[in-house]
Amino acid sequence: MSALANITIKDISKKYKSASFESLSNVSFSIEAGKTIGILGPNGAGKTTLISILCGLIEATKGSVSYQTENGDTISGIALKKIIGFVPQEYAFYHELTPVQNMNYFGSLYNLKKEEIKNKTDSLLSILGLADVAHKKINTFSGGMKRKVNLAIGLIHSPSILFLDEPTVGVDVQSKLSIIDFLTETSQQGTTIIYTSHHLSEAEDFCDQILLISKGNVVAEGPTKELIQKNSTDNLQSLFIKLTEAE
Amino acid sequence: MKLMASIKKEVLLLLSDKVGLSIMFLMPLLLVFIITIIQDSAYKMVNENKVSLIISNQDKGAQGEKLIQLLNESGLFELQQENDLQSAALKNFLLDENKLTALYIPANFSEKLKEKASQISQTLTFELGLSEIDQNTPEVKLPNLDFYHDPVLQENYSYSITNVIASFLNVIENELMIASIYTEVGIEKSPEDFKAKIMSNKIVINRIPAKNDEHMINPNSTQHNVPAWTIFAMFFMVVSLGSNIVKERVNGSFLRLKTMPTNYTHILSAKMIVYMMVAVLQFILIFSIGMLVFPLIGLPKLVLPSAFLAFIVMMLMCSLAAVSYALMIGALSKTQEQSNGIGAISIIIFAALGGIWVPTFVMPEYLQIISSFSPMHWCLEGFYILFLKGGSWSQLFPVIGFLFIFIAVCQITTYTKLKLEKLI
Repeated sequence: MSALANITIKDISKKYKSASFESLSNVSFSIEAGKTIGILGPNGAGKTTLISILCGLIEATKGSVSYQTENGDTISGIALKKIIGFVPQEYAFYHELTPVQNMNYFGSLYNLKKEEIKNKTDSLLSILGLADVAHKKINTFSGGMKRKVNLAIGLIHSPSILFLDEPTVGVDVQSKLSIIDFLTETSQQGTTIIYTSHHLSEAEDFCDQILLISKGNVVAEGPTKELIQKNSTDNLQSLFIKLTEAE
Repeated sequence: MKLMASIKKEVLLLLSDKVGLSIMFLMPLLLVFIITIIQDSAYKMVNENKVSLIISNQDKGAQGEKLIQLLNESGLFELQQENDLQSAALKNFLLDENKLTALYIPANFSEKLKEKASQISQTLTFELGLSEIDQNTPEVKLPNLDFYHDPVLQENYSYSITNVIASFLNVIENELMIASIYTEVGIEKSPEDFKAKIMSNKIVINRIPAKNDEHMINPNSTQHNVPAWTIFAMFFMVVSLGSNIVKERVNGSFLRLKTMPTNYTHILSAKMIVYMMVAVLQFILIFSIGMLVFPLIGLPKLVLPSAFLAFIVMMLMCSLAAVSYALMIGALSKTQEQSNGIGAISIIIFAALGGIWVPTFVMPEYLQIISSFSPMHWCLEGFYILFLKGGSWSQLFPVIGFLFIFIAVCQITTYTKLKLEKLI
């Protein structure tokens, strides 16, 4: 199968059964392979709902998401699951186990060979500064270390697309910088990154493209620098305030 | 490979759950030891040990002494005579000396027994036309014996002791009556030979357990307790497995797994395989203790049933029922606290209803009907059929049938709940 070329999101809306309003309303955008897109907005804007739809965890009420190769073929089902990596906001791993045991388990679910898992685990834990604690139980780790383990697990199979839901929430400044540096490096290696955050300044340097959403609606979408210049603002934060002032 | 990886992960998680392991392995071992020792010593106390009985005999005649002689000859009691104590003082003495039972024989015991015997024999000879009777003679009131017992002594136990005493009183009354009849009809010859004949021809009651296999060991505390507490322990895996599932659901692991090229079958199959292994290990451990360690500490040895294949099938059905129940509780609970609380309490209720602590036959009829909804009742019933009655496959069919339905309900509920939550 040829490599992923782009992801197209067309008129996505989502209304949960118990909700009285739509969590997402007619969201459309596209992502070019290898780029980093930041889905940004305040708490409750619909970021997690959007990323959950993109990686297939929940279904949209209407609209479509399509993953296409360079040849124009659609990637779906198991083939899609093999090339995506998902890092949820929660620490979605086994705290009673060590980072290595977790990586071994999640790596095996991608049918990776033992050697591959070992090499990738060593490399990821070393880059993320977790090599010294690779064999210690995670329930003794700090929040920042747990975030890094969460991230490493999402990358065990070297995915083409990496979904990150608030990867730096609740961590100290040093850990946050280290995670962003690592993600920048990952992006430079050609991984498409789809990332949600409510820290606008963090995303400004890191994302090629941004999607600003508020109350389920797209407020702005496009290349980061271009959007800032076009709206004559100093930074993403000012841009967001300017665009949502009217609401 | 994915299944093996999931099994390995479950084993590692289980090994890290020290509390869960203790509940699943140490708790049942302690319980099976403690309860078997207690029940065994209670059995020995009733059947082998003598009961301490303090007697204050105030009787002026010979019948008080006769009663004491009969009690002594029975070999059931360790008698201590305190004839200088009146009834109230005897009660205080019992409490002070920390003894179990005391019997007060009043001063007019022999006199009133004789009067009563004489009155009955007069009535009898009058009915036979052998003598006259004074119609104005008032009814003789027999004296009461006071039987004191320590309040901690269970009601059924003290009732058994009073029954034994009552049976000896019957002997005395019968003897007196025979003697009195002889006197009434004017026969001077001693009735001793006749009395001896009447008293010696007692009918012996044979105690025979109704079982299919005549080579089967007689029921004892080990044969009852080892299977019962093993079943209880197996179902207690709900604390470990239930919270294991809740953790995965709540911490996002299930969601992460949903984005991976794997499926629900691998993950739940791995959990079921590992916890089935745990249940089988519980069986092996507790049964081995019953077979190898119990005889070393003076408890009856556990003897396995001859229908070994049926035993294995029952073991696997019970294990699967326990695992399925734990999966269902894990799927239905929102938090670990909920899973642990509901899981543990429901197991205790199932155990109480299922006859783990008290046999179901002593329960009121409506509770016996409710108890048939407890999976533990059916598990225990299956083992009782094999261990105590030497039962056959045909007797096991209803048990296996119920457990099959229970397992199916739990599995379908688990699947439906996870499906509704879009976790699978």
